Amino acid sequence: MIELKNIEKYYANKGVKSYILRHVTTSIKQGEFVSIMGPSGAGKSTLLNILGMLEEPTYGEYHFMGEDVTAMKERQRIELYRNHIGFVFQAYHLIDEMTVAENIEAPLLYKKIPGAERKSRIADILDRFNMVAKKDLFPNQLSGGQQQLVGIARALVAQPSIILADEPTGNLQSAQAEQIMDLFKKLNQEENITILQVTHSEKNAQYGNRILTIEDGVIKEDVTVK
Amino acid sequence: MFKLNLKIALRNLWKYKGYTAINVFGLSIGLASCILIFIFVRYQTSFDQDYANGDRIYRVVSFWKYPDGNEFFSQGVPQPLPAAVRNDFSQFEKVAAIQQSGGIIKVRALPGKAEIKKSEQVFYAEPSFFEIFDYKWLAGNPNQSLIAPNTVVLSEKAANNYFGDWRKAIGNTINFDNQTDFKVTGVVKDNPQNSSFALEIIFSYASFSTKYSKNWGSVSSSSECYVLLKKGIQVSDLTKPLQQFLNKYENDKDAPGKVGHIFQPLKGIHHSDDFGNFAEKYMPYKQIIGLVIIGLFLLLTACINFINLATAQAISRSKEVGVRKVMGSRRKQLVWQFLSETALITFIALLLACVLSELTLPKMENLFGGDVSFSLFGHPIIFVFLLGLLVVVSFLAGLYPALVMSGFSPALAIKNKVAANAGGIGLRKTLVVIQFAITAILIIGTLVVIKQMSFIRNKSLGFDTQAISLVSLPQDSLSQLKYNGFKERLGAVKGVKSISFCSAAPSANSNNETSFTYNSSKSADFQANVKVVDEAYFKTFGLQFIAGRPLSKSDTIKEFVVNETLIKKLNVKDPNEVIGKIMKIWGGTGPIVGVVKDFNNYSLHEKIAPIAIFSRKTRYTSVAIKLDVAEMGNTMKQVESTFNTLFPDFVYENNFFDENLKGFYETEQIMGTLFKVFASVVIFISFIGLFGLISFVATQRTKEIAIRKVLGASNLELIKMLNSSFLWMVLIANMVAWPVAYIFVKNWLAGFEYRIDLSIWPFVFAMIISMSITIITVTLRSYRAAKANTIDALKYE
Repeated sequence: MIELKNIEKYYANKGVKSYILRHVTTSIKQGEFVSIMGPSGAGKSTLLNILGMLEEPTYGEYHFMGEDVTAMKERQRIELYRNHIGFVFQAYHLIDEMTVAENIEAPLLYKKIPGAERKSRIADILDRFNMVAKKDLFPNQLSGGQQQLVGIARALVAQPSIILADEPTGNLQSAQAEQIMDLFKKLNQEENITILQVTHSEKNAQYGNRILTIEDGVIKEDVTVK
Repeated sequence: MFKLNLKIALRNLWKYKGYTAINVFGLSIGLASCILIFIFVRYQTSFDQDYANGDRIYRVVSFWKYPDGNEFFSQGVPQPLPAAVRNDFSQFEKVAAIQQSGGIIKVRALPGKAEIKKSEQVFYAEPSFFEIFDYKWLAGNPNQSLIAPNTVVLSEKAANNYFGDWRKAIGNTINFDNQTDFKVTGVVKDNPQNSSFALEIIFSYASFSTKYSKNWGSVSSSSECYVLLKKGIQVSDLTKPLQQFLNKYENDKDAPGKVGHIFQPLKGIHHSDDFGNFAEKYMPYKQIIGLVIIGLFLLLTACINFINLATAQAISRSKEVGVRKVMGSRRKQLVWQFLSETALITFIALLLACVLSELTLPKMENLFGGDVSFSLFGHPIIFVFLLGLLVVVSFLAGLYPALVMSGFSPALAIKNKVAANAGGIGLRKTLVVIQFAITAILIIGTLVVIKQMSFIRNKSLGFDTQAISLVSLPQDSLSQLKYNGFKERLGAVKGVKSISFCSAAPSANSNNETSFTYNSSKSADFQANVKVVDEAYFKTFGLQFIAGRPLSKSDTIKEFVVNETLIKKLNVKDPNEVIGKIMKIWGGTGPIVGVVKDFNNYSLHEKIAPIAIFSRKTRYTSVAIKLDVAEMGNTMKQVESTFNTLFPDFVYENNFFDENLKGFYETEQIMGTLFKVFASVVIFISFIGLFGLISFVATQRTKEIAIRKVLGASNLELIKMLNSSFLWMVLIANMVAWPVAYIFVKNWLAGFEYRIDLSIWPFVFAMIISMSITIITVTLRSYRAAKANTIDALKYE
């Protein structure tokens, strides 16, 4: 599904290059649950951003579902966002002015899904996440864990093939974090959704089936979890 | 999608209530002003537009060039001209003469209606006038109604007035000047307000007493001539035939001035500086353009406010932008989303603006003395304008912030790492400078206008203007016999200080220029403005002599008094030198007995003319009565009853002289008021904007302020720091404004022959005003920021 070849990222400042990523080469297959780990400033988030096409690598090749991302036009990239990629953020990033239901509806609107189907999909997912009663609340009326659930619901409602999650439990208490991780695992196993998460927590990483460890911009380890 | 975006927009507006209020309020005041200006400009440019052949209608007007470089313009033509033009020009389809006059109209009592006796303005018009101008005829038609002598066509309003109902008017008669009965043969629809023709009573030209006049030498502004060009003929085609025409009829070698004619397009009549019109309404394009510029300024400042506040607020929306982008929103969609938000705000502001302008419309009508009615929705073009305004403002104000916000990189936006100056702090500063420059220009302009207007009000014109009443005199020979008796009786009224019979006050709208000889048999090379007065004139108006004495009592031309300008033009240095020299005017000869100090005989727009003053009983048109201020009301009542007993067939009409003088500056008064109002609106908008901006800056720099405080900065130092950057901006804005304002103001003042010296004070004052308001605004807001709890600001990171 994802092919990275020799990805490099650096910032040139007064002729001095400061590297964030060096020679990153890896591939991720459909249905994998990958955790990216490593110390602060190692380049985890940058790698995730590159994977999510939010940043461009300075050098290297990136193929997403067989297509060359670096050669992609904005329009094609947006099509990928609409149809294949779902984002989950550490700080949830719900739109404050939208209710829970509206937040979930937003990606469907961009996908131009007809009203009736939007309604049924939202109802479906709210039901699945046990949040029907909260659908008219605004994000600031929810707890962090609930907000993150909405964030995941929003990512899922467009039926993506991959979810990119940047420390999805970083702002949560452990009980809530467990709930979220269980959900990820379930999605991965039951719906075969590829999941890529950046995490600090050894424990969370165990939920997945593969761990990439990055240090100083280089992949140090690539282990499969049993 | 649209519905959701609309909802989000509304929620966002609600969330930032303060900013929204500033935005909407500032914008709506700006928009309301623009709407008012538009209504005004629409009205002023709509004059005389509704005639079917409007493009081909021209008025023949006259001008004279004098050897001393002076020019003189008149809307009139010599009385024989229309007939001659009809005969000599093949380029015209129709030619029409129309003569303005005035007199007493009497309508006999009808059953249920009292007798009517009124002094009215009347016209003598050829039937072809109504073929050139397609008036709607309710009864009769031009080719029958206006052929015979002693027939009259009334406007619907006049006919309703005189006969109760215009349908009853036909066949009835009205009496003019106690002499002739005119039979009503037609009724036409009223002139609209936006017409240069105030035709109410139109006599057939055949009834006009001097219709066969062959006098080419005299031109009255009351004799106008209109032509309808044949299709396909251009005015430029007329140059040569006009020259031939002038050579044939008007090559009087002895006349001091060289006469010429211009074909003035109908649509230019309302906007002409040089020529008057029957309706006495005019509005030069210069003034309209001035207002439009102010309107654009207003719109610009309001939009700049909006841009500033919106870009300032952009940061708080950055997360939403990022999230929407990763959900698959295109930049274009975001741009539209933000634009539609702006459009929504603009729409709300526009509704408010409509309310505001509806509230102020009566005030604007008052400004015009109530003879105009404005309405917000009377003309469909207003809707087009409003729609245009909505679109233009939405784009002008919304596009830049929309482009900035939609351009945020999602990776940075999501991490809240969009730089605080994302909106281009440089650009924002530039906009504020522009805004303040506009404000300063308007402050300077307003100050100068106010100063000039008060200068005009207070300038000594060289004669008395207070407590003088001008009463119109009947001029028929029978009434002239009663003049002496009238004077005696008036003299006996308590509170009357002095009485003078005259043709015109020292400064008046009606002026008469004529050639004269001085100490030789040859005409002088310039014309003199004549005032025909009796011996009491000088005392009544308080004119001062620099040589000689006033006129002695006489009913005919016997002696002359001249003014300083006249002897200067004759190249005489010592005023005493002219005393005793012989002058000849209007065929009357006599010595000069006195020289008066110059007084302003026109408005202060114009120079003082050379003036000759003499007596001639038959030319008196009014009596000037100097009153005791304490008894004015009573005295005037007695004057009125005296008039009515002596001249029962005539209508008593009286004007106060100082009111007449005010009329000279009506346009300036109107423009001055509009200028003041709109300038204060701009100033207000700018400072609202400033307040919004400083609030934003203060919020944004909260952390910086907190850190500085931790490092030991005092509140005062912090306020100073926040003030200084704004003060620099205001200073630069003033520097930009000064030269621009100087050019504007200089040009405006150039329209006055008598004007204030342009000093540096309005400029300095504008700077002081803008600076102090800035300091007040910024200090108020930054004090709050400086006082804020340090820990609150530093806790979050």
